Amino acid sequence: MKFAIALFSPPHAPASRRALRFAEAVLASGHEIVRLFFYRDGVYNASCAMVAPQDELDMAAQWRAFVAEHRLDSVVCIAAALRRGVLNAEEARRYEREAISTGAPWELSGLGQLHEAAQLADRLVCFGGD
Amino acid sequence: MTTLHLLSQSPWRQPLDSVLRLLGADDALLLCGDACQALHTGSEAWSLLQTLPATVRLYALQEDLQARNLGAAERVTPVDYPAFVELCAQYDKVNGWL
Amino acid sequence: MAKSLLLICRQSPWAGTAAREALDIALAGGAFELPIALLFMDDGVFQLPVGQQATALEQKDLSANLQALPLFGVDDLYVCQASLARRGLTDATLSLPVTPLHGAELPALLARFDLVMTL
Repeated sequence: MKFAIALFSPPHAPASRRALRFAEAVLASGHEIVRLFFYRDGVYNASCAMVAPQDELDMAAQWRAFVAEHRLDSVVCIAAALRRGVLNAEEARRYEREAISTGAPWELSGLGQLHEAAQLADRLVCFGGD
Repeated sequence: MTTLHLLSQSPWRQPLDSVLRLLGADDALLLCGDACQALHTGSEAWSLLQTLPATVRLYALQEDLQARNLGAAERVTPVDYPAFVELCAQYDKVNGWL
Repeated sequence: MAKSLLLICRQSPWAGTAAREALDIALAGGAFELPIALLFMDDGVFQLPVGQQATALEQKDLSANLQALPLFGVDDLYVCQASLARRGLTDATLSLPVTPLHGAELPALLARFDLVMTL
């Protein structure tokens, strides 16, 4: 079965870890992930600017490793990301900002990608809240 | 079409009554995070869950029960992540409440 | 055939970007001509009454986005009657033609759609 997974919560919310463990279980069960989509505060999961205390989970790092290892199509909503200061090199240049806070394996794109993923998948599962 | 509803907030923050208003007779609730606090028997939220028709299945994420020292209450099936994935497949769609 | 989506809007327009970001999903889907319906419930019903003034808080007016919904082909609009009633808005003039739903009509609406997203 094909899954599209959307995350609306930041890395420090329990929903982020839950979404990742769910995504891992989707793949481990032999299902497919057509796309991960990060929206609202979920875009912070794609930030490389966060520093987790050493004795705490680093969810942004875990997401990055998971996406890279499985070469997943992982889209961060560009409008939500800009608003929250999650910028890749191209957007930092465009808006003349010094900080680059995201990059590969994440792709910044529009909400159309969320709709496309939902249309392509057999199930859309959204994680938000706590 | 049936829906699996995911709840993740404490029922004192995300009142169950609005969730229950949307719940179809063949839908299911999966409690995760602090939504599991609804399973303290004797709580208001627990009483509300008892009013659900028997056709509505109740699930709770095992790790959240364990973390909160909550036992598996009557009617509530604990699930791990692989079972969570299979539940999503079993229902026609999934509604994640914020 | 494209899958239909029910978008459930539960956020007040005065609680940050949540309401706007939910409507953006609807507008993006409308631009792709996807079959999308909106259900306003809980604090989401606060988006609907007329006469609100975003400028008082130096905010962009959400009602422009709401009015754009029909232009983007999103005209299947519903409101949870109980959410209106609990907030004393039963008789309020609303800025959009929304169909009020109560009781069993709500789960029946949800059951009609292929996909659901709550924001």
